[in-house]
Amino acid sequence: MSQEENKRTLTYLERLKQKAATQENYGGEVVKEDAKMKVRDCPECGAGRAYQHGLTACAYCGFVFMDVKLTDGVHIKKENNS
Amino acid sequence: MFSLFQKKYNNPALLEKIRETQERWFTFLGKLEARMEEMSTAAIPELRDLFNQDNDPYKRAHGHMLQGLLGQINQMRHKANEAREENIFCFVSAAEATLPAITSNAGQEYHNALYAFRMACSDRYHLFDEKLNHHITLLQKAAGEQDLEAIYREELTIFENIRDKFSCKQCGGNITIPQMFFIATYVNCPFCKTQNTFMPSTGAQLVLHQARSLAEQRTAHLLHAYEESVPKNETLYKQYLRAMFDEWNKIVPDMAGENEKFYQRLLNDHLINKLK
Repeated sequence: MSQEENKRTLTYLERLKQKAATQENYGGEVVKEDAKMKVRDCPECGAGRAYQHGLTACAYCGFVFMDVKLTDGVHIKKENNS
Repeated sequence: MFSLFQKKYNNPALLEKIRETQERWFTFLGKLEARMEEMSTAAIPELRDLFNQDNDPYKRAHGHMLQGLLGQINQMRHKANEAREENIFCFVSAAEATLPAITSNAGQEYHNALYAFRMACSDRYHLFDEKLNHHITLLQKAAGEQDLEAIYREELTIFENIRDKFSCKQCGGNITIPQMFFIATYVNCPFCKTQNTFMPSTGAQLVLHQARSLAEQRTAHLLHAYEESVPKNETLYKQYLRAMFDEWNKIVPDMAGENEKFYQRLLNDHLINKLK
């Protein structure tokens, strides 16, 4: 392989590598977040949602958190309906 | 009788053309191969380098570069295919049309020459094709695999360190996360019974994403054993698949029920493909 052709491959590879490294990914960079705890309490009366009273409505003032009926998922079960 | 011999079809120009075309075709493929060889030899260390530098959890920069290189190789395949169509197949058909019938003595000689030419060119093309596939595999495997086991162990340690450090947002009581979660989930406060939402870290969420790959890495030797067996031993494949899913379920126990269905499907698919 001649010197010139060898050079051509190298520059092509370098360009490709640089482009691949600098190309912006769809959806942007992956932002690493730490684990965190949140709570959604009732905006009307400030009460938390207790397990035995269900997740869909506030047990104290009746505020409706969500209109959907829960079905069985990995962690949430249909018993969690208020 | 002599006049018969004089009439015999004779076309040395065609023989010369066949020889020339074959030579050109061989040189053309040889050049493509040299170019491919040169590119992949130069690219393999670069690919590895980029893979190691890439901080993206999905190694997307490496993926982009790999796609670029595979595109180049496929371009070569495309070129070779086009040249084969134009210079070999079309040439053979055109030449055949001008020859006397294959049943005649002279015709047979030329038809045989064309046939030999066509076979030689095709064989050369298959050699080229094999080399091309070999280089594709080389490029795909150049960077190796991510050490998912290490990443997983690290996430486990991180989780063990933080699992007691959370408190209820409602009453401030301490909450211990009962198990490693990979998706957002409700955790009960043991004091006021409020349902807190626990959001796992990005790293923990990625474990769910990488669980199957990790299980495959752990059981790669079983798959290898199946692939090496001649004839293919179905018991070995079943062993591999079962072990792979067991490992997967060990990493993500929540999905065991769903994974079982997937296991059955993969097993059925494998049997169906086998019967074909």
